[in-house]
Amino acid sequence: MIKKFIHQFASPKTYLFQVNKFYNYIFYTSLLIYVFSIIWGLLFTPEDFVQGNSFRIIYLHVPASFISQSLYAAMAICSFVYIVWRVKLSAYMIISIAPIGAMTTFIALVSGSIWGIPTWGTWWQWDARITSTLILFIMYLGLISFHNSFSNLEKADKLLSWLVIVGAVNIPIIKKSVDWWSTLHQSASITLTNEPSIDASMLYPLIGSILGFFGLIICLVLLSSKNQIFFREKTKSWIKDYV
Amino acid sequence: MNLIKLEFLKLKNKTRTWLGPILVFWLIMIAYPLTVEFLKDKLEIGFYSVLWIAILISMMLATEDIFLEDFNDGALEQIMLQTSSYSLLVSLKVFTYWIFIGFPVSVLSFLMSFGTSENLTASLMVFPLSIISSYIFLNLFVMGNALSLNKGSVLGAIVSMPLALPVLIVLGKSMTAIQLGINYPGFIFLLLGCLSIIIVTVPIVVSFIVKAHLE
Repeated sequence: MIKKFIHQFASPKTYLFQVNKFYNYIFYTSLLIYVFSIIWGLLFTPEDFVQGNSFRIIYLHVPASFISQSLYAAMAICSFVYIVWRVKLSAYMIISIAPIGAMTTFIALVSGSIWGIPTWGTWWQWDARITSTLILFIMYLGLISFHNSFSNLEKADKLLSWLVIVGAVNIPIIKKSVDWWSTLHQSASITLTNEPSIDASMLYPLIGSILGFFGLIICLVLLSSKNQIFFREKTKSWIKDYV
Repeated sequence: MNLIKLEFLKLKNKTRTWLGPILVFWLIMIAYPLTVEFLKDKLEIGFYSVLWIAILISMMLATEDIFLEDFNDGALEQIMLQTSSYSLLVSLKVFTYWIFIGFPVSVLSFLMSFGTSENLTASLMVFPLSIISSYIFLNLFVMGNALSLNKGSVLGAIVSMPLALPVLIVLGKSMTAIQLGINYPGFIFLLLGCLSIIIVTVPIVVSFIVKAHLE
């Protein structure tokens, strides 16, 4: 049954109809959660003892950083699916996610720099976490330009999948960089194994902002993938009927 | 053994391919002192950073047309049909390139390090670092060039260079370790670990990439 569902869902046509069905729910729920969390975090959370009000940028910086890495991981999974099972929808997803991944990584880098000025006294530091995130941003740009350089899109999909899988090595490096190297960047405040090292009054809006931002980014990915499907399947009869 | 002999012979005849990157490496290292004041202590400050970047650039140039000629004349297709293990052939190709380009660059690195610092111990420590890093860079750029086989080496460099940057970070930290006299073997083992993973995975990935190009 699961296999049947996956096969059905992997069809661009079914996917498009499913996206249309669920898009509004995801968008409005995510928007509500994000706006609520942002208001909570900006207006009702107490000032940080050391950083003052500047810490409030975490409600943008942390979700953006988290999602920039998650999107790459999602691309790597799609690449694996494409290489092994040749599911063309996963190839469409890879190239749909890449520009959004680049955008979130850019937001993470810029918001981190803005946060760095009052906290570290510098807007940029060549430490492991920041540099590896910059590498991720360059990799996203490289992937986009690589795919665009091919006129044969099927070949581009195959090669891009391999490139994404190889580049996935950067994700654990980013994640563990604060533990492997001595950096200015603080280590993770929220982990799966330990108690959060952040106060509950700051933690709950942070979790809300991550979930909300994540949902909004998923909506962007869905829209982008719809565009990709329209572009790639434009000669198919069902698309003409759909439009 | 025949395969390695063939690769050696092919590369030996392509003088520009192997001599060019070595000369570029040398020229960068010669150009470096010209850009700073001629004071010995100042030369040493940035020397190793320039050294690693020069190795990176020379390895990038070395792999510029590693598959292009074979691809254009159809030899790559023939090899793929005849050879049961194309990944083995890629490994041998990379090894040949390293013998012709990577190793001489590593020797030059040692000589230049000794010439600049006049510190034999530090230069001997730099030698294995340059050997390992040149092999890692070579593998990464081979993969990049396989990806952008007929699209130019710039695209290959764009997609593979970000993967080389963590290695540069480790090399920078290794130099700090050498200067402070702490945990140098740790960095060597870390780089060897990376190299062992790369040596195994890159040829496999490259063979799949080349197949995708030929399909």
